[in-house]
Amino acid sequence: MNTDGPDTSRLPPWTDQARSLLDESAQALDAPTLSRLNRARQAALAQRAPRRRAAWVFLPAGLAGACALLLAVGVWHGRRAPTAMPAQAATAGANHSIVNAGDLDMIASGDDMEMVQDLDFYAWLDAQDQDNNG
Amino acid sequence: MTHTIALTAPAIWNPARVDAANTGERTLDQFLKSVERRALRMAELATGNRDEALDLVQDAMFGFARHYAGKPAADWAPLFYRVLDSRLNDWHRRRSVRSRWLAVWTRNDDDEHDEIAQAPDTNDPGPVLRLAGNEAAQALDAALANLPLRQRQAFLLRVWEGFDVAATASTMRCSEGSVKTHLSRALAALRRALEDYA
Repeated sequence: MNTDGPDTSRLPPWTDQARSLLDESAQALDAPTLSRLNRARQAALAQRAPRRRAAWVFLPAGLAGACALLLAVGVWHGRRAPTAMPAQAATAGANHSIVNAGDLDMIASGDDMEMVQDLDFYAWLDAQDQDNNG
Repeated sequence: MTHTIALTAPAIWNPARVDAANTGERTLDQFLKSVERRALRMAELATGNRDEALDLVQDAMFGFARHYAGKPAADWAPLFYRVLDSRLNDWHRRRSVRSRWLAVWTRNDDDEHDEIAQAPDTNDPGPVLRLAGNEAAQALDAALANLPLRQRQAFLLRVWEGFDVAATASTMRCSEGSVKTHLSRALAALRRALEDYA
């Protein structure tokens, strides 16, 4: 494309006059028409913007979703972990004689899973036993 | 305040000055501003109606911004006019279909309705063209409006936009030979219509 100006090498001279008249007609457009052109241009530019913003909108949403997923996995693991505690406690009891057989029966019976899952309760119970023994 | 914006002369688009990395909103805005008036005049010459021309130019701006704004700035002008040319062709096609249907519905049996006699004569020498100012511009408008779409587009892109034959062919999606043919016919028809003025 010739960007420096029209290639007039093979165009008749009168086309210069035609081009001048066309330029004048483009410059002479009335204000309401130019205002509509301006609005059309702004609308065309604005319709590009949401596409770029969309990536930024979805980024926090994706991060929030990832956090929620991590939290859910953490809670799920947190709820599963205490089921292994009685075995660990039994092992610890065997090695250190801290947890007696009655406690293991109570833990293994599964009568009250909420109590079994309550680690704070076991910590307190352990402390009480140590106090009594001591 | 729109008047202040609207009456500001459009900056001349020079893709050579555009930094390759600087093809953001501002550059695109400048480009569209530099072509919007000529685009409107082209569409107006094709449709004969300013409102329809404004709609077509807006469509072309939307299409260009959506599909081609990511291209190098040096290619924007032919790409924009390609979109506009496509919109004008679509409009012309719809108009032709509508005219055919209207002709069927409004046809009467008497022989007084002669479509050939009422069709614009592209060889009509037009008004007296040894005129000045607005009259000359009106004569040119009338002569351009009487040209077939492809001839008019070839003339406007080649003469007014300054595209070379290859760029005009790319914009009009036709061969360079077709552009030369369209342009030759357009020049001949316009010369006949404007011979007193030229």
